[in-house]
Amino acid sequence: MSERSGVIHDLGYRHYDGMRDGTATIARTLFVTGLRHTYGLGRSGKSKILPFILLAMATLPAAIIVGVVVLTGLDRLPVSYADYTHQVQLLTSLYAAAQAPVLFSRDLRHRSIVLYLARPLSSSVFAVTRWLSLTTSLLIFMWVPTLLLFAGAMLAGLDKSDQLEGLLKAAALQLLLAALVAGLTGLISSVSLRRGFAVVGSVVALIVLSGVVTSVQAISDSQDADSIGVAAGLLSPWSIYGGLGDAWHAGVVTFTPPGSAWALAYVLFAVVLTALCVLGLVARFRKVGSR
Amino acid sequence: MAGVTGELTGRPPTNQSVVSTAGLTKHYGTVHALTDLTVDVGPGVTGLVGANGAGKSTLIKILLGLLEPTSGRASVLGHDIEHASQEIRRLVGYMPEHDCLPPDVSASDFVVHMARMSGLGASPARERAADVLRHVGLDEERYRPMGGYSTGMKQRAKLAQALVHDPRLVFLDEPTNGLDPAARTDMLRLVQRIGSEFGIAVLVTSHLLGELEQVSDHVIVLDGGHLLRSSATTDFTRQTGNLLVEVVGTEAERDLLGEALAKRGLTCRPRGTMVAIDPPPPELAEGGATHDLIRDVAADLGLGLMRLEPDRGHLEDVFLEGSAHV
Repeated sequence: MSERSGVIHDLGYRHYDGMRDGTATIARTLFVTGLRHTYGLGRSGKSKILPFILLAMATLPAAIIVGVVVLTGLDRLPVSYADYTHQVQLLTSLYAAAQAPVLFSRDLRHRSIVLYLARPLSSSVFAVTRWLSLTTSLLIFMWVPTLLLFAGAMLAGLDKSDQLEGLLKAAALQLLLAALVAGLTGLISSVSLRRGFAVVGSVVALIVLSGVVTSVQAISDSQDADSIGVAAGLLSPWSIYGGLGDAWHAGVVTFTPPGSAWALAYVLFAVVLTALCVLGLVARFRKVGSR
Repeated sequence: MAGVTGELTGRPPTNQSVVSTAGLTKHYGTVHALTDLTVDVGPGVTGLVGANGAGKSTLIKILLGLLEPTSGRASVLGHDIEHASQEIRRLVGYMPEHDCLPPDVSASDFVVHMARMSGLGASPARERAADVLRHVGLDEERYRPMGGYSTGMKQRAKLAQALVHDPRLVFLDEPTNGLDPAARTDMLRLVQRIGSEFGIAVLVTSHLLGELEQVSDHVIVLDGGHLLRSSATTDFTRQTGNLLVEVVGTEAERDLLGEALAKRGLTCRPRGTMVAIDPPPPELAEGGATHDLIRDVAADLGLGLMRLEPDRGHLEDVFLEGSAHV
């Protein structure tokens, strides 16, 4: 009798006795997944459109600048690294407002947060990891054009140490900004679970507030009341970024640049505000998880 | 951060208790969700029954470390909930009562992601997800976004994510909620298989007493945050010593038989379409004399005997007994 071939064996339930990752590895997996999701990677094709269009729009001027500098042989970049980010702030703000809900609203709205919190990661590690994903995502959004500019400057043969100094100043400012913006938009998104409200809330916090602060600073400058303008600079992430960029001579020009004491206050304020936002996120996730 | 990378989890014999609580209490202000609960849960399938608001979900959330108890202690798989809650969450699976699935993701992608969140590597996560989705009965639809699923399919996807990391204990909170009768039977059969064939201890809640009677080895009954009773299902459904008799015909025939039997010294009362007979007096108790008597009486009256069986207890009776005590 010949053996029958192609038989499907039902092996029944099989246990898993292999390796299991520790908390740090699980958090890293969550971090990478979250970072990919902000650019629509690993999600539907539709969700890739917005982040990549915004990134392209934020990078296009840098590409043009590089072309001009390389072809015409300018002896310096027409815009500093830090100032470039300041100029395209509208696009960065829109990106943050649109993508923060991906990381901070979805799990809460659909209650899948409970499934995460029933697993090894605690609510605080979960919230901090989500915040790190958005911070990194924003840094990538700002660093792509910045690094393109730097590559162009190197191609054009501009002075390496000058460029490197400008680049590092910009990187420090961008890090501070990304952490703060991720905290603010994350907190707004975790509280207003409807995507529309979350986006509008973030737009108000980033774009509208920034416009208001700039107006206040312009008026106080013209009225010789600089201290009011400097103090008002604390109210928006972008005015903190601009003010520090001016104070640190990173090529950003504002109406009312802070003095050195105020610059320190700007940094401290940004750090404390970021920390408060992250604590707020932890509390929010913990509360929803226990419901 | 605690937790060791590359940990191997062996399966020690599971004949000890998987969950044990001592004086567990949870108060939300004036609402007493759980009061002084001391109970042990063994391997196999354990049913946790009680009306809505009896404290079932609260107990599960405390055991998972999602809620802090007001007082009392508890341990899950030998780990204390206060000090080793993370370790517990590595070893257990949880299927919540409410909807918890993102609508724009496929069950396949979601279960793989949840496996990774429990610490499985990328390729074991994919293998396990495919395996578990097959076991819960999600076939081709696993590749479609879950927003378009029926309630039955959603419950299966929720169950799959609870099992994907091969836990040693699963908490299933109302797994039959919202299911039609056929899907309910399927789900109950699956719960029973998890406990027996898969070898995973199960703590399953329901506000429907009857369905847990079918699948659980042990039943814990909660009422208003208090423990009403905890014992083996067979204790609840043991024979009461009563007999149930049904004859062909209507209530008239039933009453005819009842009255005739009463005249012969048996205590009878109607129960639905049947006659319930209390334990017989000593002279009729031996050697099936009662059975013979019933047969003869029915034959004398010309009634067709349809059913003659021992009566069994039901979980509902516990609530009746319980409220009688309180």
